Amino acid sequence: MKLVRFILLSFLLSGLLSTAQQAGATAIQMGVSVDEIPVGSDFNGTDIVVFGSVEGVSVDALNRGEYDVVIKVVGGNEDVVIRQKERTFGIWINNQSESFENVPAFYSVTAGKPLTEIAGKEVLSRAGLGIDNLGSPLAAQEEFEFILEEGKFADALRRLRRNSGLYVEDPGGLVQLSPSLFRARVGLPPNVPIGTHEVTAYLFRDGNLLSSKTVTYRIGKVGFERWIYNLAHEQGLLYGIMAVLIAIFTGWAANAIFRKN
Amino acid sequence: MSIYLPIAEMSVNIFVLFGMGAAVGFLSGMFGVGGGFLMTPLLIFYNIPPAVAVATEANQIVASSFSGALAHLRKGTVDVKLGMMLLVGGLIGSTLGVYVFALLRSVGQLDLIISILYVVFLGSIGTLMTIESLNAIRKSRATGGASGARRPNHDSWIHALPLKVKFRKSKLYLSMIPVITLGTLVGILAAIMGVGGGFIMVPAMIYLLRVPTNVVIGTSLFQIIFVTGYTTIIQASANQTVDVVLALILMVGGVIGAQFGAAAGHRLKGEQLRALLGLLVLGVCARLGYDLVAMPGELFNLIGAGGDGGH
Repeated sequence: MKLVRFILLSFLLSGLLSTAQQAGATAIQMGVSVDEIPVGSDFNGTDIVVFGSVEGVSVDALNRGEYDVVIKVVGGNEDVVIRQKERTFGIWINNQSESFENVPAFYSVTAGKPLTEIAGKEVLSRAGLGIDNLGSPLAAQEEFEFILEEGKFADALRRLRRNSGLYVEDPGGLVQLSPSLFRARVGLPPNVPIGTHEVTAYLFRDGNLLSSKTVTYRIGKVGFERWIYNLAHEQGLLYGIMAVLIAIFTGWAANAIFRKN
Repeated sequence: MSIYLPIAEMSVNIFVLFGMGAAVGFLSGMFGVGGGFLMTPLLIFYNIPPAVAVATEANQIVASSFSGALAHLRKGTVDVKLGMMLLVGGLIGSTLGVYVFALLRSVGQLDLIISILYVVFLGSIGTLMTIESLNAIRKSRATGGASGARRPNHDSWIHALPLKVKFRKSKLYLSMIPVITLGTLVGILAAIMGVGGGFIMVPAMIYLLRVPTNVVIGTSLFQIIFVTGYTTIIQASANQTVDVVLALILMVGGVIGAQFGAAAGHRLKGEQLRALLGLLVLGVCARLGYDLVAMPGELFNLIGAGGDGGH
């Protein structure tokens, strides 16, 4: 009974009903608590909740804890340049640089325990799981369109993104509600990129990847923020004139108010 | 209380920004400068992407300079003719500046050039102003508190140039060439550095053009309105980097701070003001200079389309 309720809850929250599953096949089902995240003037980051269940496996195996679930969230593809400062004539100047294409702007991995305890490096790399395994040549074909070769620039990219909260690894954010049901809380930082994000749930057993499932949600500006952003990008000249008029008005108003006092 | 900036695409504390606006506004009201040379580094320090900081700061300066110039217009301390002529150069300069800005950004040396420009200009202007004003203060003390008013001497080479025009308000008979050149140079710097250029314009007008001190600030503010307004529109249409929400917070803080700053400024003598401004300029210069030579905590920096900055 409890189990049924949890499944229902997860589906209700997700708002999307999973496709009919083949009987007996090992599968992972999941949904996200939202499918549209509004970014308004009070947006300061948020959490999403990923619910799901492991299906088509024996209860005994589940009870023995042979299965592991990992949740990955990826958003925004962009080209980035990493530059290294070097001391030249006493001052620090950007010198060498390396460009990376199609790098995710936001990347988060949530699991119930450290990734290294779930699977080996090669399996994780293939699935693009773990910040250090991100962009591995192993995964380039199937998972990502970009490659981060080993090296100081790739390391710097990972470190800088980790420090700005855009690359996150949370080895404790996923909890098992019952042997087959899981729930993961994924934090989105205030500087999270706008757009469509992909949420993928991976099911592992004894270090092998059995199955995965992907859903998406959108994060977008709404209301005033959306209007401002669209105006700035579609009608730049008009936007600039408006910005100047606002400034003129503010300057005039301040002058008028303070002259009377 | 935090607020989300739609163009910078980040969440900021509205009170911190408002306070920054008010503090810089106070200083700008006191010294009659736009305050961009303080605000832009502060914004970048607060993790606003440099491109957004520079463009948005131009927008904010429109408000503070308009507010200040109105007060000066009412007092009759604006030389409109001189201001217009400086403006001609200023518009040419800021067009060039926005272009140079984009060029430097593409080769990854924008931040370095900005820092070096700040250090060079703030250093030389700060030193000149401090020495000159300290001398003036010493002189006025020696003559028993006499004003020490320094009548412009007309023997400089600048006053020997052709194409002379009369500027009645400033009581000057001066060639157009140095006026337009000065406007252009300040316009270029203003666009690259995200400043109105008052901190360069004011001393240059005093020391190079020999404009009487009482009309310098009003005239400088008058032309800054147009140069920064123009820069805002170009940046908005070319780079989409003007954040009106950020600008509005800074503006409101700035114009309020400026009123108190102006009142404080009236209680100080011209040479005292110049000495204080000189020291302030040197302070900012020292800070930026230190950052250039000190070993950075992070040797790598990232530039992408995202909102995590790249300074």
